[in-house]
Amino acid sequence: MATSTYLSNPVVTVNAVDLTDQCSASTLTRVIEALESTSFGKTARVYVGGLENSTLTLTMYNSFAASETFATLSGLVGTSTTVTIKPTSAATSATNPISTLTGCYLETLPIVNAALGALDTIDITFTGGVYSVATS
Amino acid sequence: MIYTIASTKLGIIGDPFIADDGINVAALLSGGFIVEQSTPKPKKPAKTNTETNEEI
Repeated sequence: MATSTYLSNPVVTVNAVDLTDQCSASTLTRVIEALESTSFGKTARVYVGGLENSTLTLTMYNSFAASETFATLSGLVGTSTTVTIKPTSAATSATNPISTLTGCYLETLPIVNAALGALDTIDITFTGGVYSVATS
Repeated sequence: MIYTIASTKLGIIGDPFIADDGINVAALLSGGFIVEQSTPKPKKPAKTNTETNEEI
């Protein structure tokens, strides 16, 4: 039977800072680059796994207040860091695993995304790093 | 270097901060999330007067 998960209270940390209350969407995608190994005689393309290149995309409310979004992210542009995401705030377990990207890279940081009458939101993407998942 | 947590976003304020693998400590410092803990300087030994007043 298919199941769906409605995530209302995931926990997101960026560089060990809890930014859960500034985050409204997140997508963690594990990517292992495909290297083509098709050779003569094959009738379909064949691939083998290459380097890991996972990504985590976060939609954040942009806040310039102390200890909030900008203070956390401004020093990370062009550097590597560690990000984690967990489905709920409950204790880490087999049904609430914590996923970690260690050594992922933040290439760009939108500083202002202003629109009249709307909250300032930004999308940021962490790329690369080593993916791991813990259940305890 | 010893660091102390300065923001509740990171943990309990005043607790020592130990960076896990991959954590960018410089960014935490620049964002004000942690502060360097000043280590107490060793006390200087008390000055003792070695001057002798003996006249030669």
